[in-house]
Amino acid sequence: MMEKLLEMAGRVCNQAEIYSLEEIADGASFENAKLKEIDSTNQSGLSLRIIKDGKLGFAYTKNLTNREELLQNAMDSLKGGVEGLFDFPLTENVRSPDTYDVSIESLSNTTLVEECQSVCEQIAPHTKGQVNVSAYRAIVHRRIINSRGTDLSSRSSAYSLATDILFPGSYSAIHRRVINKKFVKTPRDILQFLLDLYNQADSEAKPKTGKMNVLFLPETVYTLIWRLQSATNGKNIYQKVSPLMTRMNQEIFDKQLTIYDDPLDDRVPWARGFDDEGVACQKFLIIEKGTLKNFYYDLFYGKKMGIPSTGHGYKSSMWGGETVSFKPFPSLSHLFIPPGNRSLSEMISTMKKGVIVAGALGAHSGNILNGDYSIGLAPGLYVEDGRIVGQVKDAMVAGNIFDTMKRAAEIENEQHPGSGGMFPAILFEDVNVATMR
Amino acid sequence: MFGELKSILSKVQADYADIRYEKKGETRVTFNGKELTQMGANTTDGYVLRVLKKGGFSSIAFTRGRDAERAVRTAEENALLISRHVKEPVKLANRAGAKESFKPSLQEDSRQVSTDEKLELTRQYNDIPLKHEAIATTTTDYLEITREKYFLSSEGSEIAEDLITTRIGGLISSKDGALIQNVRVGIGGSHGFALLRNQEEEFEKKTSIAFQLLKARPVEAGVYNVVLNPSMAGVFTHEAFGHFSEADLIEDAPTLREKMQIGAQLGNEILNITDDPTLPNQLGFYKYDDEGVPAKRTKLMNYGVLRGRLHSRRTAAAFGEPLSGHCVAEDYRYAPIIRMGNIFIEPSTLTLDELQSEVGNGLYLLDHLGGQTSGENFTFGAQYGYVIKNGHPAEMVRDINMTGNLYQTLKNIVAVGNDLVLSKSGGCGKGQMNYRSCNGGPHILVKDVVIGGK
Repeated sequence: MMEKLLEMAGRVCNQAEIYSLEEIADGASFENAKLKEIDSTNQSGLSLRIIKDGKLGFAYTKNLTNREELLQNAMDSLKGGVEGLFDFPLTENVRSPDTYDVSIESLSNTTLVEECQSVCEQIAPHTKGQVNVSAYRAIVHRRIINSRGTDLSSRSSAYSLATDILFPGSYSAIHRRVINKKFVKTPRDILQFLLDLYNQADSEAKPKTGKMNVLFLPETVYTLIWRLQSATNGKNIYQKVSPLMTRMNQEIFDKQLTIYDDPLDDRVPWARGFDDEGVACQKFLIIEKGTLKNFYYDLFYGKKMGIPSTGHGYKSSMWGGETVSFKPFPSLSHLFIPPGNRSLSEMISTMKKGVIVAGALGAHSGNILNGDYSIGLAPGLYVEDGRIVGQVKDAMVAGNIFDTMKRAAEIENEQHPGSGGMFPAILFEDVNVATMR
Repeated sequence: MFGELKSILSKVQADYADIRYEKKGETRVTFNGKELTQMGANTTDGYVLRVLKKGGFSSIAFTRGRDAERAVRTAEENALLISRHVKEPVKLANRAGAKESFKPSLQEDSRQVSTDEKLELTRQYNDIPLKHEAIATTTTDYLEITREKYFLSSEGSEIAEDLITTRIGGLISSKDGALIQNVRVGIGGSHGFALLRNQEEEFEKKTSIAFQLLKARPVEAGVYNVVLNPSMAGVFTHEAFGHFSEADLIEDAPTLREKMQIGAQLGNEILNITDDPTLPNQLGFYKYDDEGVPAKRTKLMNYGVLRGRLHSRRTAAAFGEPLSGHCVAEDYRYAPIIRMGNIFIEPSTLTLDELQSEVGNGLYLLDHLGGQTSGENFTFGAQYGYVIKNGHPAEMVRDINMTGNLYQTLKNIVAVGNDLVLSKSGGCGKGQMNYRSCNGGPHILVKDVVIGGK
């Protein structure tokens, strides 16, 4: 099917590329320790990019029932004159990370439900908080072919279980997720961690507005990372709107911080040997010991800057959506921050006065490109003399990452799944916290 | 289309089933700065099947018609699996089957407008900020989404409805040295392409704000009395209050449900809040939701007292409350969930000047930058603001984010203005995106708001 379309496109254009995606996923969710939903999805889709006379055309469909129509849609889109001066890559012999565990195929919804139930039963009796648990499994098959001869495909399996203990009257929760390529029982120590953290913050603390230590848990580090992703995105460099434009090889963060992208690291699910444009993936430094090392590009913006793609062209958006409908765009989605030396409890014990950001509200809001953030704590845990004394309500942590990330004091000695990567908890000094007092 | 859907439904063995097929058209034109980076029109489609069997209710979304039989089996199995685990079987509120094919009335059908014209109009608006030197770049996006929906249920409903949403939106970025400021702009709606014409003034105004923000000072963190403009009042209503009027969000959250009891005095007695998807010519308009239930104007708060709630058929039965027709999906990839339609604070009598005088010293906050809620706590940003000194707006401030407690803030809304503005473009991401999520209100005065500053 795809080959035939490629051949047809090849007859009327200079270059063509076809991307196809098939996904099967099932999910179960428990609310207040009771089964609420089981839903399934079985999706497919395909997109076509063509280059003709230096112009780029694009079209997509869910069902390839009419090749002529799809090709015509792509040809029609050429009329606008979107620049297409780059070439689709010839990519051969990419390193294939181990992304698939065949046992995912026989993982039943009954097992998902039983595991969620088991997690609820292990936690619920030990906390006053409401327990929500959800699990899913997914199988994704991806293939890219282009007229240069590239023919790449991958199959990925993923399993995830998320556990939340909610504070009364809210969706603020202590949260942690298990991710894997196959089904795994949620380790007891994760559940104990959630219980300990929640139960210590049972009462309400009322700190005064001011600068203090702020500890971002791995689950909220993305608040800071989103701003870095934006400032190092090749599109924003090309458009000259990144505050990091002239800071290459300068020390912009604390020396303890290294941040890199590694799609090839297959210890976690969703590893990739090639991006959504068929460019080979690589381990890629963004920040090395505090120093800015790289901006990241897809084919389009790489060409604009006169450099090759760094292998970061992904069909994704901040808000989900239909993958095949997106054009590739520079994206960092396999980030890692190497662990530091201290356990989380040691880090907390060094805090004289501060808050733990266990959940962030409004991380998507504010002047992201400028590095500004201002998040509601949902929840925030107040620490005094090295001990969690309660939950902080109606409070915000605010700053600019190019200031905050210079103030890293301690990094946790373990990585955990966060949005967009694997992160340790990070403790910063002297960050603004606004409260009702 | 209904023939194929009937044939699929006939294979389901269950107490209730419905199926929705959708054909979705999407036209996009995107400029990044001067450059056109995307243009095209495409169509996608898919099915969502829902099955209620022995008290278990489950859904499956699938792309290909040939996968229908497998989908039917999966949905039945999932429903049975649920039924074995739940103590209380799911029931659906009663609803008579309806047969209707509904086409919205449009001021100019965007499907009849050529892509070239859409491109030119988008370019024209994109050029407005780019004329100025201090504007570093823009993103301007024309987005047209047409959903042709076909809904069939085992109770005899057979409903076809078209939803057509058009908008031109984007971001204007100004720059001074390393300082970058962004202002969002958005025009459009759900009743035709004509809404996109003659909107130059809006782009001029937002461009001017992008300049002014470069000179504005960051707001100081603290607690303020504030006047919120309709956009800010709307997002408060949506984020902080509206989501907890959605029955599915509180159904299994006992501590929230306890607070959101019908009859509870939650707000100041001047506060009236309504959600009405049937308001003609508003972004959130629809006739039937994605369960085939007709949309209904729903009074949520009456003089501060909680009066109603937004429901699906499942939650209406579970709460023993009336159906409201608020169960809506993003598209063919999702089963519907409870969403707001057009939610707003009802206007009262005060002018903006009177509200500012009443504040005396505080802040006037304008145009939301998105928000989020976690139950009793919410956070959202303002595009810009002014310090109010002695009852008058003075210097401009930026980097404004506010946070608060829902119940406290509902009580702290102490005055309501006499104007009412509803949003023209939207995007609510409650698991799925809702581009037709519409909110608004008049200017309102809120006491003791925590501002995060920078």
